[in-house]
Amino acid sequence: MSIHTALVKTEEQKISIEKAKNFIASEEYGAESIFVGRVRNENSGKKVTAVTYDAHDQAVLKSFQSICDDAKKKFDSSASIFLEHAKGYSPVGEISILIAVGSGHRDEAFKICRYILEEVKHQSPIWKKEHYADGKEEWLPGHSLRPKKEVKS
Amino acid sequence: MEIQIKLYGSSKLLSESETLLIKLPENSNIGQLRSSLKKFIDENYSKSNLDNLSNSAAFFSDRNEIVNDSYQLKNKELISIIPPIGGG
Repeated sequence: MSIHTALVKTEEQKISIEKAKNFIASEEYGAESIFVGRVRNENSGKKVTAVTYDAHDQAVLKSFQSICDDAKKKFDSSASIFLEHAKGYSPVGEISILIAVGSGHRDEAFKICRYILEEVKHQSPIWKKEHYADGKEEWLPGHSLRPKKEVKS
Repeated sequence: MEIQIKLYGSSKLLSESETLLIKLPENSNIGQLRSSLKKFIDENYSKSNLDNLSNSAAFFSDRNEIVNDSYQLKNKELISIIPPIGGG
């Protein structure tokens, strides 16, 4: 199997870099590209303590599979791809998204990694609620999936 | 007719439970659901991040596919509201 995707419930387990490395490891690959996204301690001048990720599970997993399939078709059909995203409460420093790609060459490995990250942000129904040091919390604005011709500006 | 809206992201501010029940005239579509939702938000909330929710949100049918405003709703149907996304 060359594609692994999952939503990881943070109250049950953590996203593992070792697991990702093991998944993509192969003597066929001369390049491994790994992107690790983490919860940052600041956003727009506010001190962030944690983020809660919400997700439409079935639609997210469907989008992950489609994005990875497209990436392989576009850049390297023999690549291995590992993609996991957190769901639930994640304190600062925790991994929010992990993308690992094994490929024959570095160019394809980098491109697949970047492509998947950008497409997840544009396609996958995942939402962030930031928790701040002053006790407040806020759902962050995002990118509308409503057909553009229907949205009133 | 009654429609259950499954709440995600910022739309969770609309209810303590996971779904919101909206009553609509018979044979309503997503466009009418959107209008009723706007009215509900205008009457009950002043939170800035809900201001444009009824306009910017997409809706998923139970097949997890986006449905447009002309989609005909069925009584008791469960529809997911998909506010603007921002994962990663």
